[in-house]
Amino acid sequence: MRVLVVEDERKVAKALREGLEAEHYDVRVASSGEEGFFLVNNEMFDCVVLDLMLPHRDGLEILATVRKRGLQTPVLILTAKDTINDRVRGLDSGADDYLVKPFAIPELLARIRALLRRGRTDQVLKLQHEDLEMDLVTRKVARAGQAIELTVKEFEILEYLLRHVGRVVSREMLTRDVWHVAARATPLDNVIDVSIARLRRKIDDSFPVKLLQTVRGVGFVLRRERG
Amino acid sequence: MRIGALSVRARLTLWHAGVLTLVICVFAGGVLLFVRARLYRALDDQIRADLATIDRVYREETGDLGELALRMGTRFEVTEGATVIYRTTGWPPVGTASFRQSTMADATHRIRVARDEGPVRQTLWTLAVIMATAIPCAVGLAVAGGYLLAGRMLAPVGALADTARKITAESLSARLPVANPGDEFGRLAAIFNETLARLDAAFEQLRRFTADASHELRTPLTAIRSVGEVALQRSLSAEGYREVIGSMLEEVDRLTRLVENLLLLTRAEAGRIPLTRVTVDLRELVAAVSDGLRVLAEEKNQDLTVQLDGGVTAHCDAGVLRQGITNLLYNAIKYTPQHGVIRVAATSTVGGDAVIEVQDTGPGIPAADHQRVFERFYRVDHARSRQTGGTGLGLAIARWAVEANGGRIELESLEGRGTLFRVVLPRS
Repeated sequence: MRVLVVEDERKVAKALREGLEAEHYDVRVASSGEEGFFLVNNEMFDCVVLDLMLPHRDGLEILATVRKRGLQTPVLILTAKDTINDRVRGLDSGADDYLVKPFAIPELLARIRALLRRGRTDQVLKLQHEDLEMDLVTRKVARAGQAIELTVKEFEILEYLLRHVGRVVSREMLTRDVWHVAARATPLDNVIDVSIARLRRKIDDSFPVKLLQTVRGVGFVLRRERG
Repeated sequence: MRIGALSVRARLTLWHAGVLTLVICVFAGGVLLFVRARLYRALDDQIRADLATIDRVYREETGDLGELALRMGTRFEVTEGATVIYRTTGWPPVGTASFRQSTMADATHRIRVARDEGPVRQTLWTLAVIMATAIPCAVGLAVAGGYLLAGRMLAPVGALADTARKITAESLSARLPVANPGDEFGRLAAIFNETLARLDAAFEQLRRFTADASHELRTPLTAIRSVGEVALQRSLSAEGYREVIGSMLEEVDRLTRLVENLLLLTRAEAGRIPLTRVTVDLRELVAAVSDGLRVLAEEKNQDLTVQLDGGVTAHCDAGVLRQGITNLLYNAIKYTPQHGVIRVAATSTVGGDAVIEVQDTGPGIPAADHQRVFERFYRVDHARSRQTGGTGLGLAIARWAVEANGGRIELESLEGRGTLFRVVLPRS
């Protein structure tokens, strides 16, 4: 999968490259609007990550030109402006998704995965990781064959973690995708922490292998404990 | 020169003089007309009396008319038909002086009398001259007096302006002197002082906010920096570095949240957050907020009761109001100790206003802080704020959320007994 990153801030560009490469993407970085414009016109990419504030050529302008030429490559825009108008403008210009700076790398990766998945129908009926199973139809959860009772919220969190298995899920992602709260200024972090702690009690406490890990300062991940 | 370009003092004087002149002139004119009418009536009376006298003398003793003419000093003529019975010298009365004449006639004879108007005219003329000289003098005096008086009356304004000019953003604590609080200038100075006090308070709040904001922003920055620097000085295991980076990221999180909150408030205060106000079922909203935060109360073994009356609605932006109520309930849970009681209620008043109450059994808020808790970064207990976390902006955001929706937020609290926040949303 080839990803083009158009970002003029050197440090951010480097972090994006490394973060994406760790997920085995083939990454090209363009450090100016001109360069990004050239690359997007001359090479094929599966996804474009586009900063809106670029020198020489505005990100939205590039985006509009690209869309006018009929390129269907999914585009995720990065912006420091997060008023409703800016978002609407971005999405109207043909962006598929947006992220507001400062953003968390795990969230960016999750968005890119979602963009690349889009259009494909993958109706999953069951989610599984190690001996933890989730049936999305009957809404039953079991570990090692042992049924686990979860509240609605806990079920949704676990489903989200299972869909992003092995990858870190940040609190912001949970806030937006599980709690469906768009405002970033809402004090939900404690609620999330408590809910995760309860979920952990239910799925991990009585089993020797712990699956739900906290990555300090980043978020949570469903994976086997590091040896 | 236009009147508007003159000083207030000059304008006052001019108006004063103008009005005074007009009044005096009208008065003088009135007096002249009155006196004139009086004098002529007296003259006419005299002529009538002359006619009567002459008539009597003529009927009784025609020969005495000459003696009568001598005594009266009036010019007259008595005729019978075309025959002149008697005529004083200087008849008919012509010449430079004007005469007032009157005639009395019957079938046999006719008497005509004329009297000189000179004395009447002389009197009127003298009166007019007196007035013509006295009026300008009086007006002149009045103008001078008015100018002096206006100067004295307006002196406080000059003093106010001088003092006001010396007051700048740095010396907002200075106040204007109020000489007499009862008069207009005293009231003006008092109003000006009130404005100054409000400005002073606003500046003070801004200064405090700037100091607080820089403190709140610097604290996580300092933590990130020192944690990073210390970690680089030593060789750590991979696990150790993970710890260090995690700790730095936590501070970044904190900083991000702070900036988000500050941005929200700044936008809100600049009126740049558009509200979509629709009819919202507050029971649903309150229930949703309570359900969302219930896990926190459960963790602290608190008793969170939700009391919902039938049909409580308000015309508001659900998202914004929800954020405000969330902040209130979040605070209530945060400050109420283990096993405490928290009550959330949505009711409506008799008048139809919607009321949302959030009551806790926390430490309460001292009366002196009741107003200030809604200020940005204001904290009742500074020592404790670091441990309990939070940005110190929750209540400021809550107040904005409620007031932006046309409501108000009330606070009742007893130290040691708990706090009650009441959100009142007027009937739409």
